[in-house]
Amino acid sequence: MIEFKNVKKLYPNGTLALDNVNLRIEDGEFLFVVGESGAGKTTLMKLLLREERCTEGTLIVDEFNLNSLSNFKVPHYRRQLGVVFQDFRLFPNMTVFENVAFAMRVIGEPYRAIKRRVPTILKIVNLQDKHKNFPHELSGGEQQRVALARALANNPRIIIADEPTGNIDPKMSLEIMNLLLKIQRKNKTVIVVTHEENLVNYFRQRVVVLRDGRVVEDRIGGMFNAEI
Amino acid sequence: MRRYSLFYFIGQGFSGLWRNGVMSFASITVLVSCLVLMGSFGLLVYNIDYNLNEMSTLNEIAVFVDQDCSDLQVADISNQIRSLANVSEVRHITKAETFEQEKQRLGLDGYTELFDMLEEDKNEVYLDTFIVSYSDNSRVSTLEYQLSHIDGVTKVNCHTEVAQTIEELKNGIILVFTWFLVILFVVSIFVIMNTIKLTVYARRQEISIMRYIGATDWFIVLPFVFQGLIIGLIAGGAAFIVEKYLYNYILNLITADFNIISVILFDTVELPLLIAFLGIGILTGILGSSLSLGKYLKA
Repeated sequence: MIEFKNVKKLYPNGTLALDNVNLRIEDGEFLFVVGESGAGKTTLMKLLLREERCTEGTLIVDEFNLNSLSNFKVPHYRRQLGVVFQDFRLFPNMTVFENVAFAMRVIGEPYRAIKRRVPTILKIVNLQDKHKNFPHELSGGEQQRVALARALANNPRIIIADEPTGNIDPKMSLEIMNLLLKIQRKNKTVIVVTHEENLVNYFRQRVVVLRDGRVVEDRIGGMFNAEI
Repeated sequence: MRRYSLFYFIGQGFSGLWRNGVMSFASITVLVSCLVLMGSFGLLVYNIDYNLNEMSTLNEIAVFVDQDCSDLQVADISNQIRSLANVSEVRHITKAETFEQEKQRLGLDGYTELFDMLEEDKNEVYLDTFIVSYSDNSRVSTLEYQLSHIDGVTKVNCHTEVAQTIEELKNGIILVFTWFLVILFVVSIFVIMNTIKLTVYARRQEISIMRYIGATDWFIVLPFVFQGLIIGLIAGGAAFIVEKYLYNYILNLITADFNIISVILFDTVELPLLIAFLGIGILTGILGSSLSLGKYLKA
């Protein structure tokens, strides 16, 4: 469970990025966070990743209170999350297998466990035949699937995807979104930050709309009109 | 319990070394120069000390006793000398012994008759002498002053100037050497810091991904620390080899041209020097890398 209680984020330069945000996300939910540039989406993500702390209010993710979480415990908290970025952020000098395995190696998983788990994950994202390929040999959609596989490697409870379809074509975008829904059905919370109206309206999931740092709409099966 | 592989960190350390080959080579070269200079100065000082000890006469003062002093007074003077600070050994040469020494030294050169004549008057011609050895060159002036002020002492012969010149020379070398070393080590650390910073910069995206995945600070930092350690280790080993050949080359030159100087063989200092080079190399490498990584320890 993720809970934002009266969360406010004021940056040192005076920018008020989030103002009195109240949001509760249950385990296993699928959520779109939408809004224009500067609406506060990135800050919301940074707070969830514990890159930033709230200025006011409380942010709780499962058993972690992110306001009081010490820097020492941040890596352990982040192991509960799987993060996917718009620009994939894969290691160009590693194969698909190694990219996914790296996430497990980082947290000290033994090689035997890595060797067993990585093929299973690659099967989920349908890349089992490309485990020896390097990222530059893959299409944008495939690269994003590798990034998704890496995010899943450590069996996180929450997946945070920041504009996951921003760098891929519409057909691949649908494929990625379907994959995210498939992952959600495995009882994982999925938060997709996007500004792609078509996708949000196509999948009709819970939609949280941010504007000027405030939640202006929060509706299950909601729609998003970027022009409003 | 999960364990990180040591081989992974070592492998990453070598990988970082390879990725920034030019800067790594520069770091190793600077550190090797630094260590070779340090080793050379150290060996020079060690050799000076060794030669100072060998030249034992420089550590001796001859104290001459007034001819009129009785045996009792001579014994009293001996006790007074022995009670002084910085005196390590006192040797008494009687008038008769001095006479015999002189006789032996000059007797073969046609002075036999002269010594036959002196035989009867030796107590009036020669003096009781004390050869005083001391331990600390830097306090020899004080000792000389104290000896010359003992009642019954007529003359004090001391090689103070020679001993002090060598001592001052040694201290000067140590002073220059220390400052030189400090500067060289600062430069070495600076170069290593820059090498590591460049590696960190090249891997900044990798580091940011590691953070999001949940890597601990140690997991992120250790490869860079290992990189510094490897730089130090290679530099230490290379410096030892250079030092060995350089020292033996100079040793051959000195022993061929300056027979009066005693030079320590490299074999006798080989192990401590190797340990010192590797130790200082590793320490500098780790210090250089750790100093450049401080900000990456923030979450």
